[in-house]
Amino acid sequence: MKLRFDDSVEAFRAEFLEWLAVNRPPAEAIEADPPRSSAYIPEWAASFTRRMFDDGWLVPGWPPERGGRNAGPIETLVYLEELNKANVPRTTNPQGLGIIAPSLLDYGTEEQIENYAMPLLRGETSACLGMSEPDAGSDLANLKTRAVRDGDNFIINGQKVWTSGANFADFCFLFCRTDPDAPKHKGISIVLMPMDTPGVTVRPLTEIISPEYPDLNEVFLDDVVLPVSNLVGELNNGWAMANGSLAHERSMVWLMGVMGMESSMNELLAEAPALLASLSAAEQATAADDIAGLYIDTVASRCLGYRGFARYVKTGSAPEQALMKMYSTEIRRDLLQIAAELRGPAALPTGLSRHGAVGSLDAYFTTFGGTISAGSSEIQRNIVAERVLGLPRG
Amino acid sequence: MDLELSDDQFELRDNIRSVLEGACPPSVVRAVYEGQGTSAELWQQMVELYWPALGVAEDAGGLGMGFVEVGLLAEELGRAAAPGPLLAMVTQYIPMVEAAGAADPLAAAIAGETIGALAYAENGRWEPAAVAASAEGSGDAWSVTGTKGAVLGGANADVFAVVARTAEGLGVFLVERSDAAVDVPALLDPGLELADLEFAAAPATVLLAPGPDAEAVIDAVASQASVAMALHVIGACRRIFEVTLDYAKVREQYDRVIGSFQALKHRFAEMYLAVERANAVGYYAALAIAEDAPDRAEAVHVAKAAAGDCQRLLAQDGLQLHGGIGYTWENDLHFLLKRAKSGDVLCGGRGFHRARLAALLGLGEAA
Ligand SMILES: Cc1cc2nc3c(=O)[nH]c(=O)nc-3n(C[C@H](O)[C@H](O)[C@H](O)COP(=O)(O)OP(=O)(O)OC[C@H]3O[C@@H](n4cnc5c(N)ncnc54)[C@H](O)[C@@H]3O)c2cc1C
Repeated sequence: MKLRFDDSVEAFRAEFLEWLAVNRPPAEAIEADPPRSSAYIPEWAASFTRRMFDDGWLVPGWPPERGGRNAGPIETLVYLEELNKANVPRTTNPQGLGIIAPSLLDYGTEEQIENYAMPLLRGETSACLGMSEPDAGSDLANLKTRAVRDGDNFIINGQKVWTSGANFADFCFLFCRTDPDAPKHKGISIVLMPMDTPGVTVRPLTEIISPEYPDLNEVFLDDVVLPVSNLVGELNNGWAMANGSLAHERSMVWLMGVMGMESSMNELLAEAPALLASLSAAEQATAADDIAGLYIDTVASRCLGYRGFARYVKTGSAPEQALMKMYSTEIRRDLLQIAAELRGPAALPTGLSRHGAVGSLDAYFTTFGGTISAGSSEIQRNIVAERVLGLPRG
Repeated sequence: MDLELSDDQFELRDNIRSVLEGACPPSVVRAVYEGQGTSAELWQQMVELYWPALGVAEDAGGLGMGFVEVGLLAEELGRAAAPGPLLAMVTQYIPMVEAAGAADPLAAAIAGETIGALAYAENGRWEPAAVAASAEGSGDAWSVTGTKGAVLGGANADVFAVVARTAEGLGVFLVERSDAAVDVPALLDPGLELADLEFAAAPATVLLAPGPDAEAVIDAVASQASVAMALHVIGACRRIFEVTLDYAKVREQYDRVIGSFQALKHRFAEMYLAVERANAVGYYAALAIAEDAPDRAEAVHVAKAAAGDCQRLLAQDGLQLHGGIGYTWENDLHFLLKRAKSGDVLCGGRGFHRARLAALLGLGEAA
């Protein structure tokens, strides 16, 4: 165990900070056109992505021709931390950069990489992830959208739901059933679907907060024709690939949860003395105890995350990572609830600018995006119990 | 930053664990509980292994290991619910004697010739403000008057390092057992060997001369002891978790193992989180102490408070999920339950450390 990073890591950090100081998108530009959807790319984001790509700072762990510099995992961690500290959004298309591009690099053809992955990495396009359906939520393998082979094409019919960013994305990483007779997990394939293909209808779903800026969508697919060359990887191997690409995400996604929690906690601590000043002594004691408990969780999420990361780097897997999804999203929810309660009626005003603000109920409600999506907290508990602790399924 | 134990640290932990599995199985703990045996033989074995000297600097005759390693020992002792003075020696008395630079008492302690205990808390309060015991004197002739409660390892101690108040502030004084009134009440967990002490103008020698320097040392030693106790509690809790999980995999009801019920699976996921959460912040605090990190004070309170959260859940669900068998004296589970609960209230309980943390965070007084 040690608290310091090696000198070489510190040198890497310094180099990145120097680059970031020159190349970061101007705060006024971000404020004028903020990240508000999972696939909408403001002008400043497109050019920032391009600069990161060109200078090897987009995905530091990748080779230079893919926007990286062959950095190690610890360097990547430091890079993500510094971006967060500087309050610079790394991407406005997290599914594209975090899941879809890496999956294409792993499983796609040369042509798919050239036509779909590289434009994503250069900030020219954005992509959405079409997994969930009305009857396939937690039980994703139950998906029914059909892709039927017809000569050199697939004909696709079905419906997706909760597709983040489908209203802005250029293409969709679409999960379909290609073998209805195989067991659930063995008949699923992934196809690349340009969103302007005839037969694709996108209907935005207004959300619980900020109905004027929907990010979730229903996507209806009626006789959508796609060339067979848009199949990603092997036919009927979609489930295995999905687990592979999500693993990419999980090795680092904990850090976002931890850093989000830390910045909310810092904000709360900065405001707490003023908020507590107007309370009675008994209320103050309760509030102080609530905040102290959340502070413990903040420290614990960092320590657990870092320890799991160290284990992951050493051995390629870490049980902590299964805990981190449910833990980091639930403590963030709890923190934003306490912060809003402390603020009383001042927590009630609503609007886009208040999404992330500690102490608004807007912020509290948006945390459920974390506890429900990408495997709900309940599903995470099942996973921990069955895969980490070895309790029997069923 | 690397928060994973190093290979050497894992090896040390495994060594300690296997020694304790041999030397301190539940039958040894049971013998102490049932008055059929004492901790003396176990203590002798530990002395022969130089465990009392684990964290003592090499030039003072110790093994020169860091505080993380001391934490590993404290955790493993909790896992075994080990009876005897080692925990008190390694995490309280010896660090105080070493910090005071008292070569002779230190040499006697690590050689196992004297058993010492740190007498700090009064009325259950583990904090300087609670110290009412007083010392008077000068040079080498002092006397101590007052009471100390729940002194860890006090039952079999030969000498007490007593924190007492003087006109110059707090100091630490050595009092021989024969000069104190020692009361050993019947305890939930006899292995902790807690004692209540009374001093009536007891003759004493000075270990740490009273004043601001002594107060800083007392604070540092008390902080280390709190973190070590946190890890000790966590060790007991992790073992509770393991035996409860094992039981849930074999105990059948309604024609299936009880661990296949989702209601219980989710409780196991919660317990696992509570143990890992406490463990992660516990070792973070140990590392913060070892490397004197700027957030070390917060880390200490976080660690002991998180251990408190952990034992609340693990003692409760560990017992509950065993059903009736967990409610019996015959089953070994209760040694761990009692160690976890007892450890929580020593060195400041969950509520104490949460309030201290809140005060450090600027959220009001710690009073
Ligand atoms: C903000 C947001 C963004 C999203 N973005 C995308 C996206 O881009 N692409 C995409 O494909 N999907 C996306 N989703 C969908 C998301 O993955 C699903 O909502 C999620 O998998 C849960 O499915 P469901 O909504 O159908 O709930 P259900 O599966 O119906 O679950 C309802 C409740 O039952 C519980 N439950 C279900 N099964 C079990 C079980 N076995 N044991 C215990 N409890 C259980 C759940 O935890 C939940 O509390 C997004 C969702 C949200 C909220």
